[in-house]
Amino acid sequence: MTEKITVALAGNPNVGKTSIFNAITGSKQHVGNWPGVTVERKMGKRVHNDVEMEIVDLPGTYSLTAYSLDEIIARDFIIEEKPHIVIQVIDATNLERNLYLTTQLMELGAKLVIALNMTDLALAKGDSIDISKMQEYLEVPVISTVGSRGGGIEGLLDAVTDELRKTRPTENIFTYDAGIEKRSGEIETILNSDPYFAHYPARWFSMKLLEGDESIIKKAVESDRYPEIREVLDKTDAYSLESRIADQRYRTIQTMLRQVCNINTNRLSGSDMVDRVVTNKYLGIPIFLSFMWAAFELTFSFATPFMNMIDVFFGWLAEAAANAISIPWLASLVGEGIIAGVGSVVIFLPNILLLFFMISLMEDSGYMARAAFIMDKVMSRTGLHGKSFIPLVMGFGCNVPAIMATRTIEDSRDRLVTILVAPFISCGARLPVYVLLAGTFFGRDAGLVIFGLYALGILVALLSARLMRSTVIRGEDTPFIMELPSYKLPTLKGSAIHMWERGKIYLKKAGSIILVGVVGVWLLASIPAPGSGGTFASGEIYGTTNSVIGFTGQLIEPLVAPLGFDWRIAVALVFGVVAKEIVVGSMGVLYGAGEDEESLSNILAAGAMTPLAGLGLMVFTLLYVPCFACIGVIKRETGSWKWTLFQLLYGTTLAWMLAFLVFQVGSRTGLLA
Amino acid sequence: MKQDYGNREMIFAALSGALYTIFGIFQIAEGFGINTGMPEMIFIPGDIPGGSCLMVLGAVFLYGLKEMLQGINAGVSFVYVGILMSLVFMAVYLLVMGGNMLDSIIVPEDYEGWNIMEAFRPGIYLGFLPLMGMLCWKDRFSLHEVLVFREGA
Ligand SMILES: Nc1nc2c(ncn2[C@@H]2O[C@H](COP(=O)(O)OP(=O)(O)OP(=O)(O)O)[C@@H](O)[C@H]2O)c(=O)[nH]1
Ligand SMILES: [Mg+2]
Repeated sequence: MTEKITVALAGNPNVGKTSIFNAITGSKQHVGNWPGVTVERKMGKRVHNDVEMEIVDLPGTYSLTAYSLDEIIARDFIIEEKPHIVIQVIDATNLERNLYLTTQLMELGAKLVIALNMTDLALAKGDSIDISKMQEYLEVPVISTVGSRGGGIEGLLDAVTDELRKTRPTENIFTYDAGIEKRSGEIETILNSDPYFAHYPARWFSMKLLEGDESIIKKAVESDRYPEIREVLDKTDAYSLESRIADQRYRTIQTMLRQVCNINTNRLSGSDMVDRVVTNKYLGIPIFLSFMWAAFELTFSFATPFMNMIDVFFGWLAEAAANAISIPWLASLVGEGIIAGVGSVVIFLPNILLLFFMISLMEDSGYMARAAFIMDKVMSRTGLHGKSFIPLVMGFGCNVPAIMATRTIEDSRDRLVTILVAPFISCGARLPVYVLLAGTFFGRDAGLVIFGLYALGILVALLSARLMRSTVIRGEDTPFIMELPSYKLPTLKGSAIHMWERGKIYLKKAGSIILVGVVGVWLLASIPAPGSGGTFASGEIYGTTNSVIGFTGQLIEPLVAPLGFDWRIAVALVFGVVAKEIVVGSMGVLYGAGEDEESLSNILAAGAMTPLAGLGLMVFTLLYVPCFACIGVIKRETGSWKWTLFQLLYGTTLAWMLAFLVFQVGSRTGLLA
Repeated sequence: MKQDYGNREMIFAALSGALYTIFGIFQIAEGFGINTGMPEMIFIPGDIPGGSCLMVLGAVFLYGLKEMLQGINAGVSFVYVGILMSLVFMAVYLLVMGGNMLDSIIVPEDYEGWNIMEAFRPGIYLGFLPLMGMLCWKDRFSLHEVLVFREGA
């Protein structure tokens, strides 16, 4: 019979927990070379030596005193859910700081197995670690692993099942000075006499109380014996005690490290050299911007031939469909609805793939954390926190994970501001709108216009943050501390997998939500409006104001008429709330692209839209209501409808005003006419 | 204490720094519509952001030169990292050039009168200098740690 157990993967941020999780369970969770990639717990299964293990990947945490939401998730899982085994993943190149968490996990009395990860890097650096001595010293199994390549995983699982069978009392190898031990003993006696505390190991709980851990004190307050505990605590000074305890833990760790390993420190490593340059006071920001430009250049120029291939393919498909289908309405559904609608979205797959490839290079190389460090000064001037930077960069891919990534921000106000401005960062789904319109109206300058839109998104995000920080969300600035990971050469395979995972999502979306959306638009565009005669999907109805969609579109047209948009755009924007790609998809349907091999771009250029309205539409799409998925995640992460609504109203008002400005100023001054 | 760099590194930094900066300036000037007479000769396009990138590369080399002249040992980092960055940009422009070529095969009608040399940007041919530097200091570019050298400064 198989046994069922839970195994948690815990450890400092960026030590390779998710890499090991993926290696054990065969899943493809997001891995990146910066602290704070994983922000929620992820489950997976694996059977080994007849034991069915539920593996839980946790966010990284430096200690069991949690500050940010992701750390709280990790800590609560370990403390409250008590997994049978905790695998602590340790970065072998950074033992000292990693072992600090080990001391706390041991105090907690968790059954511990240590995965000594990144041993390949430690070796390359010239460090040597005596694993058997380390094992002896810690009295915990230590297994050397290379998570990114799946090395040592079987051994690690063996150690887990072995540890399960062992029964041995947890020993506290960490003893503190007499003063601390005395107080701790006093508190332990109180704790042991109250069943309320039975869920937690007394030794650990008392140490946490002495350290002044707020959430632990909050728990203690609810007990009847709290006054007695308070009495003991009042005899101590929590601040000095906290640092005294930490000090003594570090001293124990150092004693051990001196015996078990030999760390090579007399070389300036490659990481140090690169950092000297890319975080240079004067050159840091220019270097960052030039990399951004290079990424941008590649995303667009390199994608063009592949987009043209897809275009040719869909042109052929439309023609084949037109020839094969003789029923007029069905031909219209397939040609003008499905092929034109879905095709106008799928054509942007190469851009999306390249965009995600760039983001993954930035994540995997370790440059992301440096960029955050460089940009901290700029960010703090706008009232955003340095830690807001990485979530915002993630937003260039998709705003949903970006908003999730704000969980690493400790201060709740910093986090709220970041969530509220994150949707202004232009995500991949908005790209099709820009590429289509800029390509149609701005020819050679298309690249510059698109770059300008990205810049506008960033500017609006920063200025809005400044505005919110000085009005509705005031508060103190908090310092920015982030550990810089060592550089790693991104593997082509890793980046390709990442790229493909995202590309798959995009294609799936095109085949599901967007397909349904465009078919819906086609249907509404084909059904005659009440009162107007004519037959379903006939020439005089389809896509005109005599159809249901045209009829209702005209009702909302006045709202956007001052921006130079007609009813088709109004409808496309409304459907775009489902997913921004649908803006382009439904324009394809409504402007009748697909018939006669006319591409949407040619139809628009031929006068269906003015360049000014095109520019305004891009600005509007950038800033107005984000998509459903994004609205959902804003609600979940802020936990408030009020703030969610605030975001929607604020963004849409801004979008309307800026598009209005573009159109009115442009047409009065005759620019772009 | 032995220095980690010699005259070769300094000359290299001066040369690359000067070239990248000058070409960057030309490219920006062209972008603003100032006719420098250079584009026909050596394919310098008018490209303001692209020119700024070249100038940043130039600045990295020159900053390294400045530090090395001051006797700061770690200043040589700028040379090695500058080489890596230039090669990244070279690769980017090569990919763009490849993309243009492919595109001209797929939709030839959009490319009438287009010459492949238009895509042969300064970012590409200037890159041959750092490429030589890379080959010359091969042993400094180990894979695991990107670059390794003795601490000294
Ligand atoms: N060289 C080397 N790289 C590794 C190893 N294990 C993981 N990595 C890399 O280290 C980085 C961090 O890996 P993750 O698995 O995302 O780390 P994590 O602990 O889940 O990080 P957070 O979720 O941010 O706490 C990635 O770039 C991995 O590719 C290893 O054993 N050797
Ligand atoms: Mg992770």
